[in-house]
Amino acid sequence: MIRARTFTDARQQAHSNAELNWWIFMRISGLILVFLVLGHIYMTFIQVSEADATYIAVVNKLQQPAWKFYDWTILALSLLHGVNGARYSIEDYVRTRPNRAWVKTIFYTISAVIFTLGTIGLFSI
Amino acid sequence: MYRGREGQWAWVLHRLSGLAILAYLLVHVISISLFMFGERAYMALHTTYELPIFSLGLIAVTAGVVYHSLNGLRIIVMDFTGMGVLYQRQMFWAVLGLTLLATAYTAFVVISRLLGGHA
Repeated sequence: MIRARTFTDARQQAHSNAELNWWIFMRISGLILVFLVLGHIYMTFIQVSEADATYIAVVNKLQQPAWKFYDWTILALSLLHGVNGARYSIEDYVRTRPNRAWVKTIFYTISAVIFTLGTIGLFSI
Repeated sequence: MYRGREGQWAWVLHRLSGLAILAYLLVHVISISLFMFGERAYMALHTTYELPIFSLGLIAVTAGVVYHSLNGLRIIVMDFTGMGVLYQRQMFWAVLGLTLLATAYTAFVVISRLLGGHA
């Protein structure tokens, strides 16, 4: 369980450099995602409606490199942020070592497949 | 700070909202990716999203993302400033209040659009 209160605590509690780097990554990516994701929700759900996300609208939008970059950044950053967050939960609640290994393997595989699907989709237009 | 009272509630809500957003994100990517298989495959699923229940569901997704974002900022303030931990309780109520406001605004916009007959 992550109980670190400050950067110094986090450094002391981290078992490894990797763990500390993930701790820092969660804060930095989170800060960036606040703007990217809230902007995305505002532009595609509040400003216009769900019904406006027609096939033509999606394809037209994703043909522009700027939107491709915006969406791919959200995809990559939020998946890394989300998968690492879920890893914290798995480590907290899946009690035995073999179970943890299985749950993680299946979960990482599904996430990787969906990341690949999203990336291929974005760059196929 | 992560045990008992507001700090623990903030933490529990952060986890739950985070996992819920991740679940939504994974499904969202799959359903948007359907456009690779052409207009018919994409629209077959997306016309069902025009049902009001999905718009209401997206209000819940927005609420979860706003809470997770604002509480994430609260965590960053706690971690990187000296005063953050001292005011974490007040910041939690501010986070809740702002989340409620943003959700009310979203619900107002979306529900008036629904009542206007536009999905």
